Amino acid sequence: MARNRKGQFIIIAAMLLSIMIVSVSTVIYGTVTYYRQERWEEYVTIVDSIKAASCNLLQVGLANYTQTENPNATRDYFNRWIRDVRNAYPAFGINVGYALANRAYSAYEISSINYNLGLARSWGQLTSYSASNATVSIDVASVGLTGYNFSSHVFLKMNIRDAIWYTKSSKRYVSIYLSVDKEGPAPVLNLQASNFPDVKLGGVSQVFSVKRYYSSEYSNFIYEIKISWDGPLAPSSAEVTLLDNRGIKTVSYTDSVLQNSD
Amino acid sequence: MEDLTTRMTKVRNRRSVKGQMRVVESIMASLIVISAVTFLYSFAATPSSQAQDTSELEKIGHNLLHDIDEQGLLARYVYNSEWANITAALVVSLPTNVYFNLSIYDVNHRSIGHPLIQYGDQQIFNSSPAVASVTYIVTGYGMSYNPRILVLKLVNG
Repeated sequence: MARNRKGQFIIIAAMLLSIMIVSVSTVIYGTVTYYRQERWEEYVTIVDSIKAASCNLLQVGLANYTQTENPNATRDYFNRWIRDVRNAYPAFGINVGYALANRAYSAYEISSINYNLGLARSWGQLTSYSASNATVSIDVASVGLTGYNFSSHVFLKMNIRDAIWYTKSSKRYVSIYLSVDKEGPAPVLNLQASNFPDVKLGGVSQVFSVKRYYSSEYSNFIYEIKISWDGPLAPSSAEVTLLDNRGIKTVSYTDSVLQNSD
Repeated sequence: MEDLTTRMTKVRNRRSVKGQMRVVESIMASLIVISAVTFLYSFAATPSSQAQDTSELEKIGHNLLHDIDEQGLLARYVYNSEWANITAALVVSLPTNVYFNLSIYDVNHRSIGHPLIQYGDQQIFNSSPAVASVTYIVTGYGMSYNPRILVLKLVNG
């Protein structure tokens, strides 16, 4: 009887061991191969590509609007895009829809961005901005994907932090300190002198130099525009036009150019 | 004396039977464990390596084009005809054993007539059993809407 019990124990132990091996291996195998075996469906790349292109379209529309003042730019581009995307992916049954923002939104420390046909701008102030906002929907009939919605926005803000004039070695200079931000919000750090097509003092275009650095005073990255000034003692105003690398334009203005007290 | 001999024989027989049983039990236990492992192995069939390669290359290609686009470089390269730059960007970003061929079309799938944008010998593309293809669209550059369809073909060297 005692021998029989011993024999059963070994068999039962082996069976338990087998069950453990199978269970643990199944879990480990499933975990390791879950993503590896998952098919990278083609529609995932298509949806992602259309999404990126739609965001890019907002940029192009905003660039057109800010440079040509065409208020229908984004709407026209989206209408063409809806047709073109079907040609680009003819076999997928793709349908792109859009809704352009048409009311006031609060964002990026601006209390009211008034959109019309997805576009908004406010120029000629200390803080100027250009913005675009739309909600896009994507249907892919071939895989039964419907109602994939996402919201996209493009934003460019320039803020004149200070404009001062000072005398150095019997020459007068004007320095304009400004920060530039885009959607995110994120500072725009890749601007060169060519991104500032027009800098005016007292309404007159000036030759200038630009440098960028981090300022602990402003707690931000600052572009310093330096102008050798030979006009009247104090310039009455300063105006900076910015055209970023996406082609989006904005214009900031101040009528307060103060003398440096240092 | 006979009694003792008989008793010893019985004990020996009992031990012999006990040892045989141990052997039988061990064999049965081993068979159970081996069966479990064999059962697992039969299910652990890995996916086709060719499909896996293509899928991986598609992911790499799409993510790469997306990253270059996010940096604002893809549209600049395409619309300013900076073919050397786009080739260099792809070469440095792709794994060393991956070769590519990039074709650019307008929205009606007509080639825009660019020079060959390729890394790797044509023979590799002809002979490779698995060629991954990624389609990516760029809608425009600056303030102009003018879509371009990029078709990036990738093979493992």
